[in-house]
Amino acid sequence: MVERPSYKEIEHTADVGLELTAPDLASAFERAAAGMFDMISDLDGIESEWRREVRVAGRDDDLENLLIRWLSELIFLHESEHVLLSTFDVRRIDGNLLEAVVVGEGIDPKRHALKVEIKAATYHDLVIRETPSGWRVRVIFDT
Amino acid sequence: MAETTHEMRQISECLWEVPRTGAMRVPGRIYADEKLMAHIRSERAVEQVANVAHLPGIVRCSLAMPDIHWGYGFPIGGVAATDPQEGGVISPGGVGYDINCGVRLVATSMARAEVEDRIRDLVLALFRDVPSGLGSHGAIGKLGKRELEQVMVEGAGWAVRRGFGTEADLERTEERGRLPLADPGNVGQKAIQRGLDQVGTLGSGNHFMEIDSVDEVYDEEAARAFGLERQMIAIQIHSGSRGFGYQICDDYLDLMQKAVTRYSIALPDRQLACAPVESPEGERYLSAMACAANYAWANRQVMMALAKRAFARTLARSEEELGLALVYDVCHNIAKLERHAVDGLEKLVCVHRKGATRAFPAEHPDVPPAYRAAGQPVLVPGDMGTHSFVCVGTDATMRETFGSTCHGAGRVMSRSKAKKAAKGRRIDEELSRRGILVMATGKATLAEEMPAAYKDVTEVVGVMERAGIARPVVRLTPLGVVKG
Repeated sequence: MVERPSYKEIEHTADVGLELTAPDLASAFERAAAGMFDMISDLDGIESEWRREVRVAGRDDDLENLLIRWLSELIFLHESEHVLLSTFDVRRIDGNLLEAVVVGEGIDPKRHALKVEIKAATYHDLVIRETPSGWRVRVIFDT
Repeated sequence: MAETTHEMRQISECLWEVPRTGAMRVPGRIYADEKLMAHIRSERAVEQVANVAHLPGIVRCSLAMPDIHWGYGFPIGGVAATDPQEGGVISPGGVGYDINCGVRLVATSMARAEVEDRIRDLVLALFRDVPSGLGSHGAIGKLGKRELEQVMVEGAGWAVRRGFGTEADLERTEERGRLPLADPGNVGQKAIQRGLDQVGTLGSGNHFMEIDSVDEVYDEEAARAFGLERQMIAIQIHSGSRGFGYQICDDYLDLMQKAVTRYSIALPDRQLACAPVESPEGERYLSAMACAANYAWANRQVMMALAKRAFARTLARSEEELGLALVYDVCHNIAKLERHAVDGLEKLVCVHRKGATRAFPAEHPDVPPAYRAAGQPVLVPGDMGTHSFVCVGTDATMRETFGSTCHGAGRVMSRSKAKKAAKGRRIDEELSRRGILVMATGKATLAEEMPAAYKDVTEVVGVMERAGIARPVVRLTPLGVVKG
């Protein structure tokens, strides 16, 4: 059962972006990933048949860098393995390291409507910040 | 990020200056008319032009073409030259993720009237024979790593040696389809994995193939030199280095973040991350960027061959009979080391063109001999459903913009706005009523790429002409489009 991705798509002339809040850091990273893949192709149509453990190393307690590295790794898996991902389970996260299990399935052009090609997650107006109402994330993607 | 309002002063009808303030090393210069400028101001693109002016070693000014719009660090439609001898930097954001995104134009000897009733069949053939759309792969089989290395080093020449096109095509390609600085040793494993099965694929977004006819000729002599005639059918292919290039850009942006600290470079925007051209990081990026550029040229060379075969098969005539011949291939996301006059001295500078096209004028030695009297063809594709132009540069282009001009239309509407505006509308039907057939693989693509989402390319080219830094040679009108 795939969790309905909770994010808001934001206006951007040349690209696409999302904004969201989450109760903790791990779920902030999970929702950012889910939002990104929901922009690529509706998460609803993705079965759970492909699984991978992902490990991302960041730099100098730089959460922005870790978030971009995480999303970049997922874009890489999407393209190199020809998969769409729908479930993201961050098992461990701190300033420098993230470990997660990601689940999805191989791209099937007949069932999967592919909406947007995301070239990369960018640093522009990037937000990953703890606020009184939870962790806030904003990411703009180059398309 | 707080918005900075930059004062601008209008220097002439189509040229504005952003005066040096704060830590800007040079002023900014934006080519635009009043109408385009109104939109540019609203978009924070002016701020980006000013930000680029902070780059170490930047020469003369930070430039923007009339199709400018907001981008990652550098604006799209931005041009900036740095002097390596003065610690000038190379910035991957000044090239873009889609390294060597570019366009090529193929002339034919077919008149529009001859093939008008076969456009649907031709578009369908292109759609079938050239993989397009998200995650497109598999055009010519998966390459081995050794072969991919050859692609990285030889570029379009690799494709020719594999039977896709001829040596003559190389002369009609910018840099002969190969930047010599390429070093596969500086390309990471992830890029390699992504690149192995994407050669000969169109990709998605604003990439396209288009069947056009020449509907206006402004310069008869130049048009003749380029092999273009009124009412003749032509084919455009617009694509880049695919996931291979995006990964290289991503990898090096990360490396450059560290370099900025190492070389104590202060930047107003993290995404201008850079390193001196004459530094290990700078050299590594340039050599990896060259690999991506060469990959894109190989890609367009293969796609052209596939397109020519599709035409020949569909019309049951040979490629020779159809007169299919490459006019030219230009890149519009690249960094090049070029000789330009700076303060009266000829210097080797690093020219960043992000969404901008090289436009060397008549008599420039890098222009192919057959075109030398006219100048290098400058291909300026319009958005889906409107005109494209072939232009040439002028002497003023060399003097004022480091031999650069615009690249196309530039977006004015975000994808989500375009989708909303397109709600309930069938964009493909609207275009069909105007005589343009579109085939696309992406569900949302057509809505996002609707004509109203882009600036009017005629206006953009008009500004360049009035500013004296490009002259239109012919205008093309679309008949059929394949979109990823």
